[in-house]
Formats: sequence, C-alpha cells, structure tokens
Amino acid sequence: MALLDSPAPAGSGARLMAVLNNATVRSVVYQALTLACVVLLFWYLISNTIENMSQRGMSAGFDFLGVSAGFGIGFTLIPYREGDTYLRVFMVGIANTMLVAVVAIVLSTVLGLIVGLARLSNNWVIRNVARWYIEVLRNTPLLLQIIAWYFGVFTLLPRPRDSIGWVDSIFLNNRGLYLPAPVIADGFGTVLAAAVLGLAGAFAWARFARKERENSGRIRPVVLPVLALLVLPPLLATLLAGAPVSWDMPQLRGFNFVGGLNIPPSFCALIIALSIYTSCFIGENVRSGVQSVSRGQTEAARALGVPPGRTMRSIILPQALRVIIPPLISQYLNVTKNSSLAIAIGFPDLVSVWMNTSLNQSGRAIPIVAMTMGFYCLVSLAVSLAMNRYNRSILIRER
Amino acid sequence: MDEVLSRDSAAVEQLPAEIFKPKPARAAPPSTLGVQGWVRQNMFSSIPNALVTVLGIWIVYAFFDTILTWAVGNAVWEAENRRQCLDLVGRSGACWPGVIAWIPNLIYGLYPKDQVWRINLAGVILLLWALPLWLPRVQSKVQIGLSLVLLFPLLASYLFLGGEKGVIWSALIALGLAGFLWTLLTAATETISGLSFGRYAVAAIGFGGDNDPARRNGQIAALLALYVVALIAVQAMSLSFVATRAWGGLFLTLVISGIGIAFSLPAGIVLALGRRSRMPLISMLSTTFIELFRSVPLITILFTFNTMLPLFLPVGVEVNQLLRAIVAVCLFSSAYMAEVIRGGLQAIPRGQYEAASAMGLGFWQSTGLVIMPQALKIMIPTIVGNFIGLFKDTTLVSIVGLFDLLSMSRAVGEDTRWLGLFLEPFFFITMIYFVVCFTMSQYSLNLEQRLSAGERR
Amino acid sequence: MTDAVRGEPPVEMIGVNKWFGAFHVLKDIDLRVREGERIVVCGPSGSGKSTMIRCINQLERHQEGTIRVHGRAYGRDLRENDAIRREIGMVFQSFNLFPHLSVLDNCTFALTWVKHLPKKEAEDRAMEMLTRVRIPEQAGKYPLQLSGGQQQRVAIARALCAQPKIMLFDEPTSSLDPEMINEVLDAMVELAESGMTMIVVTHEMGFARKVADRVIFMDQGEIVEEAPPAQFFDAPRFDRTRLFLSQVL
Repeated sequence: MALLDSPAPAGSGARLMAVLNNATVRSVVYQALTLACVVLLFWYLISNTIENMSQRGMSAGFDFLGVSAGFGIGFTLIPYREGDTYLRVFMVGIANTMLVAVVAIVLSTVLGLIVGLARLSNNWVIRNVARWYIEVLRNTPLLLQIIAWYFGVFTLLPRPRDSIGWVDSIFLNNRGLYLPAPVIADGFGTVLAAAVLGLAGAFAWARFARKERENSGRIRPVVLPVLALLVLPPLLATLLAGAPVSWDMPQLRGFNFVGGLNIPPSFCALIIALSIYTSCFIGENVRSGVQSVSRGQTEAARALGVPPGRTMRSIILPQALRVIIPPLISQYLNVTKNSSLAIAIGFPDLVSVWMNTSLNQSGRAIPIVAMTMGFYCLVSLAVSLAMNRYNRSILIRER
Repeated sequence: MDEVLSRDSAAVEQLPAEIFKPKPARAAPPSTLGVQGWVRQNMFSSIPNALVTVLGIWIVYAFFDTILTWAVGNAVWEAENRRQCLDLVGRSGACWPGVIAWIPNLIYGLYPKDQVWRINLAGVILLLWALPLWLPRVQSKVQIGLSLVLLFPLLASYLFLGGEKGVIWSALIALGLAGFLWTLLTAATETISGLSFGRYAVAAIGFGGDNDPARRNGQIAALLALYVVALIAVQAMSLSFVATRAWGGLFLTLVISGIGIAFSLPAGIVLALGRRSRMPLISMLSTTFIELFRSVPLITILFTFNTMLPLFLPVGVEVNQLLRAIVAVCLFSSAYMAEVIRGGLQAIPRGQYEAASAMGLGFWQSTGLVIMPQALKIMIPTIVGNFIGLFKDTTLVSIVGLFDLLSMSRAVGEDTRWLGLFLEPFFFITMIYFVVCFTMSQYSLNLEQRLSAGERR
Repeated sequence: MTDAVRGEPPVEMIGVNKWFGAFHVLKDIDLRVREGERIVVCGPSGSGKSTMIRCINQLERHQEGTIRVHGRAYGRDLRENDAIRREIGMVFQSFNLFPHLSVLDNCTFALTWVKHLPKKEAEDRAMEMLTRVRIPEQAGKYPLQLSGGQQQRVAIARALCAQPKIMLFDEPTSSLDPEMINEVLDAMVELAESGMTMIVVTHEMGFARKVADRVIFMDQGEIVEEAPPAQFFDAPRFDRTRLFLSQVL
C-alpha cells in the first residue's frame, strides 16, 4: 500500500493521472458524463417528437379531457353516457380496472389458499393434484389462458334461447352470465339496521370472549357465534319485514334476456383466467410460508398439549404470514397489472378504453400515455409504501 | 473432577469387559413398509384421509377422462374442413386436421414456404453452437458462450432477413459466420488435443517454435484466415429479402424472447450495478428506470413504444412494428433482470467485497472477477425463472399486431375452412408453451440442487 | 386422578420398537422410571436416545410395544394421548420458543389455551417460573433478543408452567456456547433437587455424575447398560460403554 501511495513523480502528465485517479474527481466526472448523455438523449428524443408532432398536426395538451369522447363503452361500473368527456372515460377505465383487480384478488386468494394447503397435505394424491395444477397453469402464458377461456369457452356457449339455467334464476349463455339483481324496497332500513346490530354484536362477543378468557380462563367459542351474529339478524329481519329486498329475475324475451344482472363473457373469462393463474403463485407462497415455520414450533406446541387447531391459528399462521404477506402483496400488484390483458378480449379496462380507443380517437398520444403510466406508477408506489411500513412493523416486534 | 475421572479410567482397565452384541435389526411391520405401508401412510392413514384420496382420484380420473375422450377417443384425424368434423362427432371430439394443416404456419408464420430452410438452418446452427457448452472436454466455454450471445444474432439476422447487404453489413455477417466456424473448430481441436483452435493451428504448422510473440502472431493469423474464409462465403451467399411482416408463429416468439433474453442479461447487470452505485446521480437514474418499467404493465409499454417510437425518431425514419415490440420487450425485461441481479449481489457476503479490495482489485476487476460470477451462479434459478416469464410474456405482442404463436393459433379459427376452430389450436400451443417452460423450470431446479450440493460438499 | 396414579411408575416402556421406514431405530426398549427418579441417557449420535424420549411424549409414534405414563398407555384415542402428554414437559435442543410471542406470552400460552387459567393467574405463575430460572427481568422481551442460555432457561420455565410431573430434556445444552452451558445446567440441578422426575439426554457427564440416579447408555437402538452413576463411570460392564466413556471423558 505504502508503495502505491508514494508521491507521484513530478511532471504534468503524472499529476493529471493522480487527479484522475482521485475517487471524488472520478465520481464527479462519471456522473457529469452520464448526465450529459442522458440530457443529450432526451434532447434528441424531445426535439424529434416536437418536429414529428408539428408535422402531423398533433398536440400535446390536456385540453381534450373536457371534450366529449363520443363512443360507447360496453361495461361500466360507474355511470357513463356516450356524450361524456374523455376525463370520464379515464375514470370509467380506472373503475373497471380496479373492479377486475379486486374481484380477481379475492378469488385468487381463496383459491391460492386452498391450493397451497393442498400442496402441504400429507395425502399423496391431493399433494400431487395440487402440484400439477400449479405446474401446468403457471407454465402457460396468462394471455393464452384468458383468450382460451373467452374464445374457447364463453363464446362457444349456447345462444340465450338454449341457455344453461340453474333453478330458473341463473343463466349462462354466449352473452354472459345472468344473475338475479337485488332490488331494494321499503323496509330495507330494518334489514340494514339488523345487519349493523349483528356486526356490533359480533364485535361485542369477540371482546367478551377475550375478557372472559383473561378473567376466568374460560374459553368461549368465537368463530361460530360471530358468523351467526353476522348472518342471522339480517336474515331474520328480511323474513320479518316481509321481503324488503326483491329480486329482479333475468327473463328470456325474444332473442335475449332482459332484467337481472348481466356479467359480460369477457369479464367472466378475464376473472376466471386471472384468478386461476394467480392462485398458482399464491399457492406456492402459502406453501413456502408454512414450510418456513420450523417443525420445532409444532413439536413444542404439541409437547405443551396445545390442540392442533390452536397451534395452527396462534403459532404457525402468525409466523407463516410474515413470510407470505410480502410476496402476496406483490402478487396483488401483478393482478392489477395483468388485468390490462383485458384488451385482448375487449373488456373495457383502463388500457383498453384509454390507451387504445381514446388514443386512437383523439390522437393525444403523450398525455394519454403519461396518464396511464401515472396511474399504474401511483398504484405501485402506494403498494410499496404500504409494504415498507409492514416490513418495518415486523422488524420492531422482533428486535 | 479431573482426578476423579482419571481414577475411573484406571478402574475401567481392571475389570474384564463383557462384549456388547447388538441385536440384529428386524424388518419393520408390513403395515408400515413397502408399497402397502406407503399407500396406507400416504393415502389412507385415516378415514377423512381415505375420503380425500378417493375424491382426488376421482378428480384426476374425471379430468383425464374428459380430456382424453375429447383429444383422442372421439377425435377426428382426417377431414377437409370443420363442417365434416362437426358432422362426424359434433363437439364431443377434437378436430385435428385443422391444426395439422396449420402446423407450418403455427411454426413459421407467413414466411415464404421455399425459404423456410433458412430458419431451420439458423436453428441447426444455434444448436451446434451451443452444443460445445455441454461437452466435457471443451475448455473455452466462456468464449463460446459469449460468441453465441454476441455473434449468433448477426448471422441469424441475415439468414432471417436476407436481401441487399452493404460492406459493413457483410463484414458483420462474416463475423457471425467466423464465430460459428471458430466454435466448431475449437470444440473439435479441444476434444482431440486440449488445444484451442488458434494454438492447434500454430502447433500443426509448426510455426514459431517456442517464441511467444511469434506464436501469438500465428494465432492471430489463423483467426484472420478464418475470417477471410467467412467473408468470402458471405459474399457468395445471396438470400432473397423477407420482410418482418411475414415473420410469425413459434419462430417469431423465439426471435423476440431470444433477443429479449440476450439483451436483458447484460443490460440488467449494468442497471443493477448502477442502482448499487455510490454515485447519487447514477444510482437515481438506474432506480428510476427500473422502478418505472417494473410498475407498469408490459402491454402499456408495448403500446407506448408502438405509438411513441415513430415520434421519437427523426422525421421520415420508419420503424417496423417488430422492432418497436422488441425495443419494448428488451427494456421491460432488463428492468426485471436488474432486480434479480441486484438480489444476487446482495446475497454475496461483505467479506467477498473486502477480500477482493484487500487483494488490491479495483471496482471493475473485483466486480467482474469475484462478485459477479458468484452472484450469477446463485441467481441462475431466478434468472431462468425470469426467462420463462419473458417467454410467456412475448404472447403480448399479439395485441400490438404481430403474428406470434398465439395470434397464429387464433388465425386458425378465422380460416374459412376451419371457421370457429379455437379449442384445438389453443390446446396444441398450450402444450408447446408448457413443454418449453416446464423443461426450463425443471432444468433450473436440477441446476439449483446441483449447485447447493456443491456448496454442501 | 392423582389417586389412581399413585403407585404407578411415572414412565414405563415395555418392548418398544420403532422403525423409520425400513430402519430399525428402537429395539425392544424396556424402561421403568420411578417417582422422582433422575435418569441421564447417553450414547453416540444415532443411537436412538432422542427418539426414545420423543416416544415418551409421542412426538414420535412407536409401532410395537407399550408406553405407559402413570399407568395410562398411549393408544389410538388422540384426546387421551393429549391428556397423557400434559403430564410431561419437554425441553428441546433448539429451544423452539415461539419467536413472535414475548417471553411472558411464551410461558402463559399453554396456561391460557390448555389449562384455561385467567390471565392474571397465568402471568403470576409464569413470573414465578421465570424467577425460578433467574430471568424474571426478561419477561417483556422477545426470544430472539436473548442469548442462547437465556432462551433455554425460558424454555425450561415454559415447560414448568404447565406443572408437569415429568420433565424430558433432549440435549438441552448441545447448541449452546460453552460459557452458557452452566447457567442452564444450574437451572436443571435446581429442578432435580426439587424432586422432579427427569429424563435427560445429554453429553454432560459431569451433570450425570452429580445429579443422576441412574445412567442409561444406548447404542444402535437398544439400551446397552443402565447403572447408578458411580458404577456406570467407575466400572462399566460392557466394552462398548468403555469405548464410549474413553471417548467422551
């Protein structure tokens, strides 16, 4: 080291080398060079873009947002009419994307939990059924699955006239799924009140059970009473108040169904494919999470005489969840991003109505691309902030 | 205590010892052993377990029964069009003639039939080029691997595109061909004599004796000779032009994912190093790039490049759709690869960095010689996982109007002869995707096990 | 129940055989433990000593023979097995504390969910046991914040909270740093002096000599020799025992 550090021999060339070898100088030079490259690249791109746009008579402003879009959207969660503005179209797109994401997240979590637990089963048959379910579905492209469900299943369903019906209220045909739609009538307030009371009762019971356990040591059942309190009061109120909720039944009129709730085939295909595909990844998360809890934990609980169900709930799950939740959340983010594949089967999500239809109609490429990207970036950012908080909260509890 | 113990050992010496004869091991009770025991423990250990087993077997049976009845039992193998299929078996069986008739298109897209040999040739070259990587006696595996990634695209792009080739273009194609010839020759000479091609050539001619510079000159001359041969060969070649619009099917899928893979690895390394850099500007730029591309769906990137790339380039420059898609896929996959590699770099213990700098290695030396090889090794399974993801994601290019395997399979059902034939081609390409992805994932699993076994030893 | 139990040996193993797959781990084990007896089990690794004590609280199921605890035999009835197991406390080599619960919650866990004690009472008893192993001041911490020796003492306190009649120790000091071994051994000696029935698998021969009523030497899945420590260490009968002793002492 001493040899290397010895003062450089005189001479401007050697002195220049010494300066260049100085770490700080080097770092500044590198960064300046990088900055110059990036600025140059952006200047090149932007100047080209400006020239291209002026030649094609395109504009980059956001003023078009107030203009009427003038096209219809097949499925909207929030009200939308053809004359509504582009901004409204953007909102419709976001709402539809979020709807798909939320429904698919719920379904894929339930499915994933089942698959993951099946994967952990000590029954060889179930374990392997789950394994091959996962292997086959996660090794085929999601887009292929979505398209296969749509073109291979839902568009091949019978015409409305020959619908597949179930107790005369649920119908499946090539126009989608028809469900009875609830219609709120007088006296619904009673039901609502009963539900709220039930909810309050459920909380009170859970609290009472905990207090009782702490004070007298008596263990009271919690899960069943809570479920009963949530379900029974609104049900009873419905009966007593004389059906305050009526059902709008789908009915066949001519060539099509009227009434009821129509879920378009594209939505069904998208949700099914997305949930099944994601459930494979969630299932693997669940499996590795539970397996990450060492056998010793179960054995220790068993040696203390703790019943298996309690061991699962109070020992294994809390520890497994710490391993499961971070990748689970990134799967949720993936679901949200993957819902953009809706465009392939014509479901009007954000990318489809905004980046495709609106962009082609208005020609405002730059604002539209920026708004779409901005939306997804915002979602990612929010999720990663939440995740960081979660990770930090784990750390605090452990150390 | 010690005193006590030493007295003990003295006592031990005095008494005659009885010999301990271990009892012979008995065979386990049959209920826990063999097929019967295994079945009992894993499938029928309790009544609920047995019920679940029966349910599972029923599900498996019902699934395979349905699939096989449709795909084999009731399937039609010879028909002129879909109508005939439907007349024969209706929807209860698959109509394979449609898929069979479309197989060439599913694989090569709309590539001219008489030119398809070019794609096959490129495939054969790729296999031959990669083969030495698995030959045990070949030593120059790193060089061969690098030449494959860097030079094969040059050769392949000419085989695929064809058409006019200027001077520079010819020189580059020749470089690709020379790389291929060098790989073959080196693999051969190293298998025979353990010498790389250049050294072998020098030794064979008896050139230079033990004079080092002369020997090196001899090697360079041999390589130059090889390049000249390749150049002449390339000049002699003349392939007709095939526009990228005609590219399609599995071929296009492989081209896009191949380029994405080849690009994303080096770009990912650069981005990962950039993100970990101590220089704030570089780290910030890398992080922004990575996070931006990772937080938006691939389809929005494809759309963006589809609409924006023509705007970004000087007026009048045309970019074909394939190139737009490839740029999008490359940037997207590099961002993901960067995070994978960053994970690998984080897993390298601090001691490795310290040891490298203690040896007086600079940043590039320690990264290139010590850190990166280790990081890449532990990251192989994740990298392969990323490749699988990329391969699956290439299906998205069908949305921006390219005719990859997925859109080709949809075209079957739009052919007037096979109108409405969707399930069969989907089934067929599902098998293709599954076989490719599953093989890759099993290979990486296998590799992972071998690597961790190496660590344990 | 205590009346029915009186007179029956705390642990009795008769002709116990166990296989892992085709491997015969325990061969015809016969063992009778008296009330208040302290037994040390030693032997080379793989001799089946851990498996034997794990059979005593049925963490491992044996395939042949009978195991009785206070006269009640393990069988097919899982609830009965659980009830029998509650008489037995166990301390593991790797502590197996619940990392997501505080030290106090680790100790009260079984009291709350198995013995159904009120919170106050459970915490009082937990504190009492933690005081016994001399770490009451760590009650609010989490296991991973403690040293190995402290963790193992928490594990002892946790097992004691359930007021077992028998304590099993599966190599309790094997994964500890040398300077921490004594604090754990001290806690065990104290427990032994209180009259607890103990079965300890360990390589700590000093502990065996000082505390044990009987030392059992196992090899290749069977009990080779059992004797009071003085006789065991001074005049072992078998060549195999002598070889072992010459290696560990």
